[in-house]
Amino acid sequence: MLTQDAIHAIIFQALSNVNDERGPVERLDIGATTILFGTDAVLDSLSLVSVIVDVEAAVSEISGRDMVLTDDRAMSQEVSPFSDVSSLTAYILLLLSEPVL
Amino acid sequence: MTTIKKLEGEFIRLRLLQVSDSELTYQWRHIARAKYLNKAASSIFDQAKWIESRPTSEQNFIIELNNGLPIGMISLVNIDHVNHHAESSRFLIANEEAVKGIPAAVESMKLLYELAFDELNLVRISGIVAENNSLMIKWQKYLGMKEEGRLRKHLYQDGQYFDAVCLGVLVDEYRKITAPRMNVLIAAARQRL
Repeated sequence: MLTQDAIHAIIFQALSNVNDERGPVERLDIGATTILFGTDAVLDSLSLVSVIVDVEAAVSEISGRDMVLTDDRAMSQEVSPFSDVSSLTAYILLLLSEPVL
Repeated sequence: MTTIKKLEGEFIRLRLLQVSDSELTYQWRHIARAKYLNKAASSIFDQAKWIESRPTSEQNFIIELNNGLPIGMISLVNIDHVNHHAESSRFLIANEEAVKGIPAAVESMKLLYELAFDELNLVRISGIVAENNSLMIKWQKYLGMKEEGRLRKHLYQDGQYFDAVCLGVLVDEYRKITAPRMNVLIAAARQRL
């Protein structure tokens, strides 16, 4: 079972991958409170998709189950899973806590 | 040929490229991020001539935020009404700072796909991306495009040749994969903490 810390590490790595594509002055400050998307966000939609792709791949590989972050359910959450690192982590933990169908 | 004047989204809109955009688009074509596009015009005058000479098989747009701020450009080119396909091209978000937290790239492409698939009744959109533009390749694949091949050493940038990755999406894939994912990304910008 993936822990909160392990999921944080996965998201941080995905953000670090975005930083690899940026110049020194454009690099993101990465932390648990980093705002991803929406008001005051640090990512544009190109970078957000990069983070989603990398996080889905890593979580799927480690957990052994398919992880889809952009489905109707994500839209129906009261707080967007893509608001910040903590909300994305909480959403992944929620999905992982459910039985595999 | 249907000429679309403006396409309205929730966060951005697409308006037709005009000769009066020559200076702005000339500047954009010379920023670092534009290195993945084809060679730019060498002067504002040449850029104006290029805009004037666009054929009817193209729809070239300026991407604007809803407050009117121009932030980039996108085109649908080689529109073929016999074989019902076209290419997405000249996609550039030039003002990155203005689009943080805003699904400008996603909504621009969504409006272009709606034009292609819903208005022009095309069945296929394709495009090429330089192999070193990994962010764009990842983005396009996540949004439903499939890699269909490679043109070896097709692009020349900064003294080096790069493969062009050929990507394409069919109308059914757009409806099943692309549009729902785009809608989630747009909704993510709508939701607040």
